Parts: sequence; C-alpha cells; structure tokens
Amino acid sequence: MIDVHNDEKLLKALFEQDTDITIEDALENEMVINMGPQHPATHGVLRLLLRLDGETVMSIVPELGYLHRGYEKMAESMSFNEYIPHTDRLDYTATMCNNVAYVLAVEKLAGIEVPTRATYIRMIIAEISRIMGHLVAIGTFAMDVGAVTMVLWSFREREIIQNIFDRLAGARFTTSYTRVGGVASDMDDVAIEMTHGMLKDIEDALFEYEKLLNSNRIFVDRLEGVGILTKEKAIDLGITGPNLRGSGVQYDVRRAKPYMFYDKMDFEVPVYNEGDCLARYFVRVDEVKESIKIIRQCLNQMPKGEIIINSPKKVLSHKAEIYTKMEELIHDFMLINFGIHPPEGDVFFSVENPKGELGFYIVSNGTGHPWKMKIRSPSFCNLQAIETICKGQMISDIVAIVGSLDPVMGEADK
Amino acid sequence: MPDKKRKKDLTFAQKLYLPEIFKGLALTFKSMLKPSVTMEYPEVKFVPPAAYRGRPVLVEEKDGTERCVACGLCSRVCPALAIEVQPEETELEKERYPKLFEINMIRCIFCGFCEEVCPEEAIVMSKDYELVFTSREDAIYGKDKLLVPVDQLKDRLEFLRNFK
Ligand code: SF4
Ligand code: SF4
Repeated sequence: MIDVHNDEKLLKALFEQDTDITIEDALENEMVINMGPQHPATHGVLRLLLRLDGETVMSIVPELGYLHRGYEKMAESMSFNEYIPHTDRLDYTATMCNNVAYVLAVEKLAGIEVPTRATYIRMIIAEISRIMGHLVAIGTFAMDVGAVTMVLWSFREREIIQNIFDRLAGARFTTSYTRVGGVASDMDDVAIEMTHGMLKDIEDALFEYEKLLNSNRIFVDRLEGVGILTKEKAIDLGITGPNLRGSGVQYDVRRAKPYMFYDKMDFEVPVYNEGDCLARYFVRVDEVKESIKIIRQCLNQMPKGEIIINSPKKVLSHKAEIYTKMEELIHDFMLINFGIHPPEGDVFFSVENPKGELGFYIVSNGTGHPWKMKIRSPSFCNLQAIETICKGQMISDIVAIVGSLDPVMGEADK
Repeated sequence: MPDKKRKKDLTFAQKLYLPEIFKGLALTFKSMLKPSVTMEYPEVKFVPPAAYRGRPVLVEEKDGTERCVACGLCSRVCPALAIEVQPEETELEKERYPKLFEINMIRCIFCGFCEEVCPEEAIVMSKDYELVFTSREDAIYGKDKLLVPVDQLKDRLEFLRNFK
C-alpha cells in the first residue's frame, strides 16, 4: 500500500484533479491504489497512482523517473562519437532508430554530408527497427489483454531481425551501428539476403497475427471503444506516432518533414479515426506492412559505394589509412581526444520513431562536446495522454490503455 | 490480408466464438509440428558471426609480445571508462609497451569503440560472450587474461579489413 508521507505530493495531485464522474450505487469510499512500478503491464517502471470509485478510475497520476539515468546531462561531458552507444539505451525496443536520429542531428549541426549507400543502409535499418519495435508493441499489447500466444510469436519473429543486426552491427540489442558521417560496417550480400528472407517471414507472420486477433471476438470486444483519445485532445497534448494517427491525424515526420530519402519512397501513412485502443493496434500492424514496402524499395535502389565519408578532420578515417598514413593517424588522435568541432549554434532534428517523433536539440559552443542536449522523447510526451484517456474508465482497462499507448520507459525517463 | 474488423463487422460465426476456438486449436496443433525455434543453450552453443562484438582482447604476436604501443587512445574513447593503460619503454622496435593493461569487464559495454580507434590493430573484439566472475576483483581483466594469440583472431581481423 501507499506510504503516505513520501507520497504526499502525489496524493495531493491526485485529489486536486477535478472529477466530474459520479456513479450512483458505487462503493461509498474512494480508494487510492498504486499500480507499478513493478507491475508487468506497465511496460517497465511506470508507476500509476489511481483514485477509484468502485471500479471506475476517478483520477490518475503517472509518476516517472524510475529509470532516469541523466542522459541529457551526460551528453555534455562526452564527445559526439562517444554518445552513440548511449542512444541505444533510449528506446531499447528499436535501437537502430535512435542511432540514426542522433547522428542525423549531429551531421546537421556539423554540416557533414553522408554517402548515398550509407543513407540507404540507415533507412533500411531504421525501418527494420520500426518493425522490431512494433512487433514488441503488438505482442505485449495482446498479452496485456490476455492473448499470451502473441508475445511468444512476435518475439520469435523479432529473433530473426536480431540475427540480422548480429550480422550487421555485431550485437543483437545494443547495436551502436551508426557513426557521424556514415555507418560502422558495410551491409554484405549475406545480410541483404537475410533481410529479404526476414521480410518474407514477417509478412507470413503478420498474416497469422491478424488471423488470430482481428476476428477474435474477445480481443475486439475488449478493446473497441476503450480509451478513446479524440483528435483535438491528441493534438493539444502533443501526442505523436501511431497514437496520433490512431486518432485520425495524418502526421508522420517522414512525410511532413522528409529526411534521408523518404521523399523518394512510395508508402502510405495509415490513419484510423476512432482513437480507441483497437485503432492504435491497427495503425501499428499497417505500419509494419508499410515498412516492409520501404525496405524492399531501399534494397532495390541501394547503390554500391562508400559507407562512411572521407573527411579525416571530422570523421574517423578508414583503418587502412590510419595504419599507413601519418596525417590520418594524427587526425585520428585529434578526433578522439578533442572531438568534432561543429560551428557554434543550435540545431533541432526530429525523426519518426516507432513510438513517435524523436527529436534531438543540440546546442554547440564550438567545442568537441555539446553545450546542451535536449531529447524530445515520444514516450514521455505520449504518457501525458494517460490522464485524459483513463479518467472514467474501468480499472481493468488501464492495462489495455497503457499497452496501446506503448511507452518505453528507457526513453520516457531518459 | 485479413481485414480490419470492428465488432459490427464480425460475422455471426465469429461472434459465436466457438468455431473460432477450434480454428485456434487447429493452429496450435499446426505449430506443434513446426521445427522448434529455440536453442538449448548450455548444450548447444551459439556460434556468433565474425561481426560479433564479444569481450575485447589484446592481440598477441607470434613471438609472445603484445601489439599494443600503449598510446592510450582506447582508454580515452571508451564511453564506459573501462580501460586503464600504463605505458613503459621497451628495447623493441615499437619503443613502448603497456606495463599495465586492464579492462574492467563489469564496466565494459561491448561497444567496440576501442577496436575502432586503435591505430595498431592491437585490441579487437572476440567471439567470447561467456563472462562469469564471482567477485568484482575477478572482473578486472589484466594482460594475462586479455592477450589472445593472433591465430585465434583471424576471423575478426579479416572482417575488420573487409567491412570497416
Ligand atoms: S589504442 Fe591500441 S595501441 Fe593504443 S593503447 Fe589501446 S590497444 Fe594499445
Ligand atoms: S568495448 Fe567499448 S566499453 Fe568495452 S572496453 Fe572497448 S571501448 Fe570500452
């Protein structure tokens, strides 16, 4: 139960929220209960304080920060390259997306051009990651509402993707694959072959998932009309990603502010108007299909060539050159010891992540490390919706709603 | 692809639920006949590809000396501050060698940055992923544990030359 002294502030917030829900014949006493941070349905360490009238939620206060590691502050004492492994640990269900987002922001700041092949590889891995993130989201969401089979299936497919990352980046989870100016290693034929195979597998698997869930009366009944987020509210609260598109707003950063080669790609932005949990699930499934389309196009269009730009003053040179040439060796030392020196100024760059719009705001004072870095993490912003959505719902629906919002606490707490 | 169905779109049979249960069970039996996707780990070992970033090791030349020249670049770049290098002079051609080279395996996050910046190809990531220690002191690997003969690292060195 709740330790009243420590939670005084939270409790105050809980009771200050105006409640206009009155239910006749409900239990007379209101009850305050605590959900999380170790509740399996809160997807990590999200803590929710609920005030209940009978089974109806009268007010809810989310408490964040259990996984806070101070990544924004840490960036200030690190060179731009050193920070790349830390971006893995933001949204840990789709690590490559974060890698890509961060280096794109740094490149914009420092004015570094990237070879075409590297950009294509980045798009491919970002989309593969999106599939990976959505697979986890769909699986755990279905598990939250009772379909335990789904999580096992989606993790089975996720394994195939992780094998590709293993081949490509050398790690299944903590990929740290992108570099400022390119990517760490080339995508060989075996990896391309594996990717083709993976797309086929995922398509088959999706067909099965949908057969299992879409016409399943329990699943549909459980979610239809639950946790409705209206279009206006979603925009007011700054919701992004599948949650926003589930509420009927056609906003996708890949289309609204195209980066990399997304403007050349042919893909749809799935939108559903209902705004309930079911709509958010549908958006995710459709997005996986769109990602498959994008990856196929990228694989077909990808040219041969360099994977990292040759500019020894800003980007690590090729190993062969470092071993043999004096100048490259000196730049190697300078770069590691003092870092890239981007011009003074600030930059904001955002990309579409599986969870929503991930943005990096970097202020540079011309030295080798950022003066300030701010991460606009989608999970954090999306969690704002919990209060709006959950008020007036039944307590058992909270689990479904949190699952459908799909927050990742590594990112929300930074 | 199956359609997106809301409650009103479900057919009568689907609403009845019973036929759906049998369909589901049929799927379960089908899955039973499929090959298993899991690996029985301690008995069956996972063999990683050459790109795999296992624990970092130092390359030992054929004559038993390390390649490292103790430049300290790896310890500078390490995001986890896991490496300690203390240089000393030597009579050999390379002039310097690490008197002390320690990697704290509890701190290491296996990012591979040390390998990427080393100007001598002296530190590389191995395929070793089974790291067990019983105390914090054991987790600090000195030169005795870090040095690996160059023959055993051929895979990785080749990968580095081809793909980096
Ligand atoms: S970077 Fe290479 S040569 Fe320099 S200290 Fe580290 S292992 Fe030795
Ligand atoms: S792999 Fe990364 S964390 Fe580990 S010692 Fe090398 S640079 Fe440090």
